[in-house]
Amino acid sequence: MWAVATLTFFAIRLIPGDPAQAILGGPGSQASQEALDQVRRDYGLDQPLLVQYFAMLGRLLTGDLGDSYALKVPVAELLGAQIGGTLLLAVLSLALAWVLALALSLVSTGRGRIATAVGEGVELTAAALPQFWLAAVLIAIFSTGLGWLPPVATGTPSGLVLPVVTLAIPLAGFLAQVMRESLLDAMAQPFVISARARGESAVGVRLRHTIRHAALPGISLSGWALGWLLSGAVVVETIFAIPGLGRTLLQAVTLRDIPVVTGVVLLIALVYVVMTVLTDVASRIADPRLRQEAGR
Amino acid sequence: MRAAPVTATTTKRRAGIIAGAVALVTTITLAGCQAAEPEASGDPVEGGTLVYASGDAEPTCLDPHVGGNYPQALIAGQFLESLVSRDESGEIIPWLAESWEPADDQLAWEFTLREGIEFTDGTPLDAEAVKVNVEHLKDPATQSSTGYLAMGKVESVEVVSDRVARFVLSAPDSALLESLAQPWTAIQSPAGIARGMDANCQAPVGTGPFIVDEWVKQDHVSLVRNDDYASAPADAAHTGPAYLEGIEWRFVPDSSTRYAALQGGQVDVIDNPQPDTIAATEGDDAFTWIDAPRPGASNRIELNSGQAPFDDERVREAFIRAVAVNDGIDSLFFGTAERSYSPLSSVEPLAHSDETLFETDVDAANTLLDEAGWTERDSDGTRMKDGARLTLRFPVSTNQSIPAEQSLFEQVQATAKEAGFEVVISLLDLSSWYGALFAHEYEIVSAPYTKVGPDVLRILYHSDSITPAPSGYFANLAQLDDPEVDALLTGAASTSDPAERAALYEQAQQLILGGHYLLPLYDQQNSFLLSANLQGARAMPTVSTPSFSDAWLID
Repeated sequence: MWAVATLTFFAIRLIPGDPAQAILGGPGSQASQEALDQVRRDYGLDQPLLVQYFAMLGRLLTGDLGDSYALKVPVAELLGAQIGGTLLLAVLSLALAWVLALALSLVSTGRGRIATAVGEGVELTAAALPQFWLAAVLIAIFSTGLGWLPPVATGTPSGLVLPVVTLAIPLAGFLAQVMRESLLDAMAQPFVISARARGESAVGVRLRHTIRHAALPGISLSGWALGWLLSGAVVVETIFAIPGLGRTLLQAVTLRDIPVVTGVVLLIALVYVVMTVLTDVASRIADPRLRQEAGR
Repeated sequence: MRAAPVTATTTKRRAGIIAGAVALVTTITLAGCQAAEPEASGDPVEGGTLVYASGDAEPTCLDPHVGGNYPQALIAGQFLESLVSRDESGEIIPWLAESWEPADDQLAWEFTLREGIEFTDGTPLDAEAVKVNVEHLKDPATQSSTGYLAMGKVESVEVVSDRVARFVLSAPDSALLESLAQPWTAIQSPAGIARGMDANCQAPVGTGPFIVDEWVKQDHVSLVRNDDYASAPADAAHTGPAYLEGIEWRFVPDSSTRYAALQGGQVDVIDNPQPDTIAATEGDDAFTWIDAPRPGASNRIELNSGQAPFDDERVREAFIRAVAVNDGIDSLFFGTAERSYSPLSSVEPLAHSDETLFETDVDAANTLLDEAGWTERDSDGTRMKDGARLTLRFPVSTNQSIPAEQSLFEQVQATAKEAGFEVVISLLDLSSWYGALFAHEYEIVSAPYTKVGPDVLRILYHSDSITPAPSGYFANLAQLDDPEVDALLTGAASTSDPAERAALYEQAQQLILGGHYLLPLYDQQNSFLLSANLQGARAMPTVSTPSFSDAWLID
């Protein structure tokens, strides 16, 4: 977390843009010298960079993310108001991606060459779809064409459908690809034959036995997936006009609103850490072998 | 006003793909668009909430005194009002002030306020309120930029009586009324201002037809009707409260989403429609297009005359003769933009045009470049002189230039190449773009500038504007440094004789155009697409922001 804060702090100062101007109405501001001086004093921007850096670290250690330059409100308050929407979007998308990926790999694996080829083709295509294109097509079909769903998400459940589907489809493609491989491995294992020999149906084998094997790489990929979803949120939140962290980050970078950028980046790093722990736990639940090792 | 960060998020490639996707489900009719002021049909209907989808950046503060950009002006016009307004002919007309009179020496102006007007918090509109507003604009703590500049020659405001406020000037200012007509100098409740910046940014208090009720960041601002509204500008269609009960002002950064929402009836008005969208709705009764070019400067490419190679007028003229933009404007803007030959917007009555200076002639360009000593050519065909290549750096702001304009710049690049210019386009975000300008790392650049009245010429082309402001900002991007132009612009800004003012501005524009400092393209594009159920809406003739005080919705 410290490394992330440090990197962000120095990286944003490498790109052109004066923080004092960010405070005074954004880039290209024609603020007076008095206003600039006052702002530099108030925000400590007249101090040497290292002093500013340690001041920021000190604040962060006490849990203070500072105030937004542009919006003049505490960053914690700003992020607190926006994180719920983005997490909801990400979690729903991850859940839908899982359902789609499991369904696809269970249906198309080990059912002959044509099913495999179709399944692989669908996965590859889905994984390669750019979100902005997918969003435009979904809007064209379901909003403009059929009129079933609104293009602007206004906080209603129906408004979330298109954004969630936009994020979930490419992710489902990725997940299904890795699941298919381990599913194939598992299907070739002797336990499958013995299960079938006991009279288990083909579907039963998949649901009771091989699904765990298929899920394992998917679970470890989910930590990465959530990070991918948060970056995808920048695109999707902008297209569907959903309030959230992605748009907050985009606006903050444009305006060189350093405290907000640092805050969002730290928050995403925290989510990564939490997700890594969670996927670890989930892997243990799905794979008894890991539990035994831990028990020793 | 310098341009504001518009979140035109579509990249060109993306816009193309989306246009393709939209084309699947809509019928695109490509015909010359004819903008019309919507003809109100039938009697006004009371009630209903208008949903507005704005593609401009969400303001960081709703008080346009703070900073002062176009997104703020767009929404502030719904709840704040100015002392004066401007009608469609460019005449200044009464608004919160019913009359005004300059002193003989032009160093003081007395404004008489309308009687019986109250801010929506119950505070009376009086001369003291006007004084507090001007002081608020001039206070560094307010962090005003646009309004602060507009009040540059105003030293103080004196309270003559309850209803009469005297503006004391440091020098005669022929642009004072135009400055006061802008939303960035709108009059707010002193009690509202006294709440401090945080509260006032969240919900400024004015005299306007609507009141800020709630602002949900990144989502929407709820505006409710001011039932006591009684201060419509002199050119309004009706007096008294608005017909609409309220406005839901939504922030929808993506242009194709805005259009889809309008088509689906989710919103009633969108701003910043892209040219292909406007063309797609042409001839469709379900939509009305309000074309409202912004006042002030035209959109133009400025040639940096402060350094080589454009310190040589022959090279500037060669560039202007070499590039061809007319076909590009027609095809890329689908007939929604008209070529300009003036430094000023076509809405400015004092704009001077000269088409003859801008006829494309590659042979003439080649001759001029030969004369200027750019005679050698390298393997790419780029001209050289003393080992230096004829390279033009062209920083382009992706926040300000819509995809169609970026494509147009590529056509400029291609046509200039024929004469031996190498144009290097860099697509930059707003902060980086300003960084390039401040460092003088450009030979050509296009920067919009919105202001009411021809005084914008002084800001853009007076040599004083070459000196950077403390923030690094300078407006004279052509770096035009001509004492004769300075004298004309200063004279025009201080004369009290309208005929003399017009003559001085015309001469100044002749010199500016004749010196080949800029290539005018078109008016600063600004328009609104309305659902046909919305009647009576208009764009204000001041800075072309939308007004809904006369508007109503039909089912």
